Formats: sequence, C-alpha cells, structure tokens
Amino acid sequence: MLPFKSKYPTSTPKVDQGIKVRGEAKYTDDIVMPGMLFAKTVRSSIAHGEILSIQKPKLPEGYYWVDHKDIKGENVVNIIFSDWPVFAEKKVNFIGEPIALIVGPNKGELDRLVNEVKIEYKEETPVFDFTESYIHKAFTKGDIASAKKKAVKVIEEEFSTGYQEQAYLEPQGLLVYYDEEHRVTCVGSVQCPWYVHRAVVRACAIPTEKVRVIQPAVGGAFGGKEHYPSLLAAQLATAMLKINKPIKMCFERPEDITFTTKRHPSKSKYIAYVDKDNNILGMDVQVKLNGGAYKGCSGVVLSRALIACVNVYNIPALNVAGDVYMTNTVPTAAFRGFGSPQTIFASEMFIHHVAKDLGVDPLELRMKYLVKEGDITTNSGKFHDPIILPALIEKAMEMSDYKRKIKEYSKPGCNKGIGMSFFLHGCGFTGSGESDIIKGKVKLIKDEKDIVHVYASSVDMGQGNKTTLKRIVAKNLDIPNEQVVFDNPDTSIIPDSGPTAASRTIIIVGFLMEKAAKNLKKIWKSGVRQEHIEPYVGPSYIKWDEETMQGDAYPSYAWGVNVVEVEFDPITYQIETKGVWSTYDVGRVVDERIAVGQADGGIVQGLGYGYMETMRCEKGRFRQRSLSDYIVPTAEDIPHMETAFIDNPFIYGADGAKGMGELTLVGGAPAIALAIENAIGKKVNDIPCNPEYIMELMKNGKN
Amino acid sequence: MGQKIIARTLSEAIEALAKYDCNIVAGGSDIMLQKRNTAGELPRFEKDVLFIANIEELHKEYVDEEGLHIGATMTLEEILRHELTPNVLKDCLKELASVNIRHFATLPGNIANASPAGDTIVVDILLDAKLKLTSIRGVRYVSAEDFVQGVRKIDLAKDELIEEIIFPKYDFDKLIWFKVGSRKAESISKLAFAAAYKLDGEKIASIRLAFGSVFMKAIRSHELEKELEGMSLKELGSRVEEFTEKYGKVISPIDDQRSTKSYRLEVTKNIVRDFLTTLAKGGN
Repeated sequence: MLPFKSKYPTSTPKVDQGIKVRGEAKYTDDIVMPGMLFAKTVRSSIAHGEILSIQKPKLPEGYYWVDHKDIKGENVVNIIFSDWPVFAEKKVNFIGEPIALIVGPNKGELDRLVNEVKIEYKEETPVFDFTESYIHKAFTKGDIASAKKKAVKVIEEEFSTGYQEQAYLEPQGLLVYYDEEHRVTCVGSVQCPWYVHRAVVRACAIPTEKVRVIQPAVGGAFGGKEHYPSLLAAQLATAMLKINKPIKMCFERPEDITFTTKRHPSKSKYIAYVDKDNNILGMDVQVKLNGGAYKGCSGVVLSRALIACVNVYNIPALNVAGDVYMTNTVPTAAFRGFGSPQTIFASEMFIHHVAKDLGVDPLELRMKYLVKEGDITTNSGKFHDPIILPALIEKAMEMSDYKRKIKEYSKPGCNKGIGMSFFLHGCGFTGSGESDIIKGKVKLIKDEKDIVHVYASSVDMGQGNKTTLKRIVAKNLDIPNEQVVFDNPDTSIIPDSGPTAASRTIIIVGFLMEKAAKNLKKIWKSGVRQEHIEPYVGPSYIKWDEETMQGDAYPSYAWGVNVVEVEFDPITYQIETKGVWSTYDVGRVVDERIAVGQADGGIVQGLGYGYMETMRCEKGRFRQRSLSDYIVPTAEDIPHMETAFIDNPFIYGADGAKGMGELTLVGGAPAIALAIENAIGKKVNDIPCNPEYIMELMKNGKN
Repeated sequence: MGQKIIARTLSEAIEALAKYDCNIVAGGSDIMLQKRNTAGELPRFEKDVLFIANIEELHKEYVDEEGLHIGATMTLEEILRHELTPNVLKDCLKELASVNIRHFATLPGNIANASPAGDTIVVDILLDAKLKLTSIRGVRYVSAEDFVQGVRKIDLAKDELIEEIIFPKYDFDKLIWFKVGSRKAESISKLAFAAAYKLDGEKIASIRLAFGSVFMKAIRSHELEKELEGMSLKELGSRVEEFTEKYGKVISPIDDQRSTKSYRLEVTKNIVRDFLTTLAKGGN
C-alpha cells in the first residue's frame, strides 16, 4: 500500500475515518438488544382538525399501543418554545403529526397494524399561507424617518426562498432501554445529548439522574437532529416506561423526509431609500418565515434571520421587522445557517439590484457600505474585532479572475456567468447567551497512565470535532494526539458543554478545551489521576437585549467570500457549475483538512439550496418524498473547488479559531444566484433558481 | 410470499411460468422497490417469484442477419461495455441511474416496468426494437412501441418471458440521445429525446424522433416522420417552427415531483427546434 500523503501537512488523520470506511462504526440502527421491540408512529392524515374517535386494530400478543394517556409528565417536547405535543391529544395540526406509537417485535406487522388504525376527524380549514403570525420581532437602527424623508429614489423588491431538507445520510433514529442502574437510557442519532436528556425528564417526570443519553456514531445532522430527536426520545421513553423493554425506532428515508423538520421557507420585502448622489440612506426590511404547525425554535431562527438581514453592509438607518407564520404543515426548525441563509440571499441580491437600478457598479456600491472594525452593527452593537473582509474579497477575486470574467460575461448571449457573495456568520449563541444561558463546561480526566480523557457533549456527526477537539487538548498539553481519548458523549459522565449547534463547537467548546488543557498542564503530575473542570467565561464586553434585539448579537463573527461561475443552456434552461472559489476568515484553522471538508460540504449544500434542491408542499403534503425526487448535488455536479483561509485570530477562540460550520453554507445560494443572473441577464429574486424558474424568468423576468 | 423459483435454463423458466403466477425478477432494481417492506423484513411479493438472472443462455449479446440481439439477463453495465452495443444506447445507459443499479438492471426489466420515465424504452422505440416473447406455447414477436400500452401496462401474457430484445439493422447518418435530468448523475429524466436521420444529398431520406417522460409512454409520431421524409433541407429550414409546434402536440406532459408540465413542453419544443434547425443546415 502506498503511504497516504496528505495535501494538508498541518492535518491529522480523522480519528474515526478507519471505522467508518470499514463499516465498523456502530450507528443507532446497528445496535440490537435482547428482547428489543420496535415502534412505528400512528400519524394524522389530515392537516387540521379534531380527533373524534380512534379505532385501534386488534393487537396481537406482545404488541402495545402508546399515546398521550401514557405520558407521566408534561405532554410537550422540551424545545426553546415548548408547544409541540409528544402525542396529539384532541387536535391535530399537520399531516403526519404523531398520535400514538404501536410497539412490538416485528416491523412488518407494525406497518400492517398502523395501516389498520382508523381515525375519525372533524376537519377544520387548514392554513397554508402567510396569514397567521405567531411570532413578531422588530427593531430599528439610526434615523429611518429622516432617511425616508431625504430619499429621492425608493427601490422596493421581494424575495423568496424554499424549503430545504437536511438530507443527512443516516435518517432519524433512537433506542431507549433501562441500563444496569435502571436509568432510562437513550441511544440515538442526536446533535445535542443534553437537549434529549431534558426532554425525557420533562415528558416522563423522572429525576435528572435517572435519565441517560448516549451518542453512538451519527451520520450527519445539519441541524435536523438538534430538536427532532427530543420528540422521538420523549415518545420512546414513555413507551419504555409502560412496556419495560428496549424499544427502537429508526425512520426510513420516506418517513424522515415527509415528517421531520426542515429549513423555514421565507418571503421578504426590502426597500432602499436613496438620495440624489446614489447614497443608500436607509432600508426597510420585512421578513416572513413559515414556521409550520408549532413554534419550537422558530423565534430564534427569526432572530438570526433579522440580525443577518443586511449581511456585511453598514446601512445607516434600518427599520427591520419579521414574523413567523403558523401554517398547518410539518414544523420547520434548525438547519445549518439557522435563518441567515434566507436573508443573506435576499440582501446580496437586493444590493445588486439596487446598484443595477441606480446604474452604478454593484461591486463599488457594496464596497462603499462594507462594515469595518468599530462600526455600528445592524442591531446597534459594535464590531469589536478586526475585519479583514477586503483582503478576503481581493484574494477571492484574484483566485477566480473575477474582474475579467464579470466584464466578459456581462456581454449578452455568451451564456456564462460569475457571481460573488460576501457574508458573515455569528459564532456561538446569540448575544451573551454562551455566558448567561448555556454556561458550558468541559472536563478533562487524566488517568494513572497519563492518558487524558476528554468529557464534553459535543457530538461528532461527521464534521470532525472528535479530531479537532482532541488535537486542541493534545497541543496545549504538549502530548501526542494518541495520548488523548475522546469517546462519544454519555450524559452519565460528561458535563453539559452545550449543544452541537450554532457554529459554537470550536469557538466555545474548543476554547474551553484549550483553557482546560493549559490548566491541567499547570498541575500535571505523572502517574496520578487528575481531573479538571473548566467553565465558560466569555468576553465581558458583549451586551445583548433579546427583547429589543439591541446590542452585540454575537461574541464574534466569521466571514467569507464565495465566487461561483456557471454556464447556462438556453435550450434546457439548465445551469452547470464551472468553478467555485472561496475565502474565509475563521480566525485560525485548527486542522486544515477538516476545515476544507467543512468548506466543501458547506458550499455544496449552499449551492444546492440556491439552484437545485426543490421541495414543494401542496396542501400540507410534500411532493418530494425520496432522495430520487428531492435532488441534492452529486460530485458530478460540482467542479473542483478552491478554498483559502486568511488568519485573523480571535482572542476568545481556541488558538484564535472562530466558528465555521454554518458560515460555509450561507454564501452559496447568493453566489450561484448572482452567477445565474449574470449568465441569463435577468434578475433572480427566488430560490431554488431551478430550470423551471429560469424558464419563467426568460419569458417574463426583469432585466 | 409464495414460492421462489430460481431458473437455470430458459425451459425451466417458461415451464414455471406455465404452472405458476409469477413475478419475474432479473435484476430487481424496480420491482424490489415496488414490493419493498420495512428495512430488515422480506419484500412483500403476493405472487410466486421467478428469478431468471442465472439463466446463462440468455446472458449474451450477438449480431445476426436480423440485427443485434440482447439477451434478457445482460445487465445494463455489461451492455454499456459491450462492443456491439450501438452508441446511442450507450449514451443513454451512461446517464441511467447509478453504477450500482446498472450492474443489476436489464433492458427487459426497464421496458416491462413501463414507467413513462424509462429511458431505454425511448431508444428501443427509436431503433424499432422488437421483443421476443417466449412461452411453452411458442414464440411471438412484438414491437417495443406496441409492447408498452400505457403507464405500467404491457402486452405480456402471464406465461410469457421476454427472452431477448432485437434491434433490427439500421442505416442512419446520425443518432442522438439527449436527457434532461435534475442533475448530472443518478437522476430520473424530466424529459428525454432521441433522434436518428439519414440524408440523401439535400433531402431527408429517413428520420425518427422519440420522446420520453412527456407522455404516458415513450412516443414517436410516424405521421410527422412521414411528412418529413423526402423533404428538402431548404424546405425544412422554412418549416422548423411549424414542425416544432406539431411535435408539441404529439406529447402531453404532466406536473409531478420532478418537473412541471410547462417546462417539459417548452424544453421538448426547444430541443426539437434546435434539432430541426441544425438538421436544416445539413446536420451536425
């Protein structure tokens, strides 16, 4: 065998690559326990109405029916806003809402029994449009009234974005059983072990120490396993308390696509107030998100959408408002980017369209409003740290030959296009949430053999933090990587270092690891068992008021530039991606290959969101219910990608590192939409910008 | 599920078909999805299952005076790599499903599945392919075009097996395969187009156009082909729009999870227009 030569000399081999490539990694569905039963969900077949009666099938011996009457605690899934019932009681609010579980030894028999359940409903008129707001947020910046008064031109446009399905490789799944200490133990494909833990405690009314969550190998999540597993865990734990046997429920793809949470579709309206010298004096921004039947985490998604609503631009005056709308559809929830992909798309398109309408060069207009260190943020806070966006832009333009190409491709009929997006992403929880709400902790235990065990609740779902966090610890203890062990989280032994979400793993948990390792090093005694717990202390200058949405929205920001080149086929309206170039400021890269992995995967998911991934919901039912109909880009669809990182260390990050998980997704859609716009000579206002939509643009679109 | 019969010879297979009511499985890439059960459980076959992939005598591709014969157990990947396979069929197979599927799937399976989006059926009807249907009663031949009667409807008796597909000899200057999918690999067609023509100086000697995914089955218009045959390229040049519109009326696409009716209609017309325009200029 040839020795593997890494392209990235600063990288270590991914710690789990061997077991994953060999198929030895144990995922939830690989775990089999003696006497284990399976569960299948009985779901609502209507979008909105009242359950009048349920006719259960005759259950064979060893089969059980579990519903809301079996819930020992509260019938809610513990999410940020807990309005989603574990099992519907009287009302159903979307097609597919769980009403009961049937539990038993044979999955085929469970399918048959579930199909035999007859439910009589009193149907009510469902809501599918943006008519019933159930969350509203608003804030202003500067003097918007005077901006309006001084304006000589008013430019107004609307944008929309569609659903996006996480399309993780491993569908949702969870197994619940009593462990040897009679704890209700959940093993599942989860992002946030402690979220699942709290959901079980609340739904089952059992003491905290009687619940345990263990993470097996996780095959991707992208936000889809941030909250949804809490629902499965509450259901299965309820069933397990009744039946007293291990119970597993793993979704197959159609059930996963059809009934689990996705990205919020959005509609937004942008209005720019411009003076006679083509200065943008202010903007009105209205954002509408489709939250589905339950609020869940939608309020926070809206917050993040609004915070990002003018992206990297310092617009002097803003009037920002947003709503989440209740519809009788599958609830929408967390997805990599968490609200910002919607508004970063809209704002990047809008500033281009404003420039076109004013007859000025879009790049010049954008550069004029680029935020700088010390500037006031969208939420009237301050950009505390150095901003190197101009360097990122320059590098990306040089890598892609942007200036020459944009000029050349703007000639009509050449059917080629290039687009460049600028973007930022807040790292960690909003405002001072990391210090005040999450209060993450990590623990290091050094055993008698001087092996260091890392205890944190960060889940490696493929993104590589088992490798990176381990590396941070090893580096700061000045010991080889092999001397550090980082097993999958188990809440019976790990502290709560917070969820694996919000691009916080490296910037927050990594920072904690670095400090913990440095502190352990100070007291290091060889051959002795030692333990160190490190609590999070964030930057004290970060002040944020969630109510008014004023202040510093994030402890720090990561930045990026994506350039995408496309070719347009005027016969089929298809788009071919010809080139992708990216530059990022993620503080400092911990492991280059893993960072490039995040960059490549992130932009492909962002490009898919922008031009390919199409999911339509008709009368509460998704039209695309398989991965042969819900199309994500394959390697064939994506050309070679070039990525460069420019260092800009953050003082509160591990060795200067900031977050990058979400950052790499958010610029993909506007970059390809701008490239398509350049190629077809028509304004793009909606994504996915698929061939069907491009055909409409070619007929009726605006130049 | 009833009994499982693994046939090793053609006669074993047709005898089983005479006796039992069977689902015939070669690669199973379509039927295993239709009969699929929850993961880990056996598929739900209501009928008996006749497994034919091991029939060695059908595992062949050869040419005789009649044309090219492709046996029922040749996988698509084997056909793709076979030197006798016409390029137009290779072009179609290259873009069909995934490598994994192509290692199981067969041509008879694709046509017997009778999906409106079955890509190889478009090539079958373009090349006037015939199916050899064998039973203990004897042999009969049916054209690919007549074999598929509608969505999932085929002309196959309960005791018949598609023994092979025969592509008669043809003489064309050019053959074209063009698929519009949602992405560049592993995609099911939004629409598909295949064409063939032969020129006689400045005249069209013969011409065929076939369409997939835009009607309840793969479709050709023999009437329009007759109108075009013998036409001078100059005349064609002045009547491109007329024929584009006429072909637009041959098809009748629908809205579904993969595309829209209007996109399928518009793009099919664009492709026809482009094809005829190029042809009017002498082809290529």
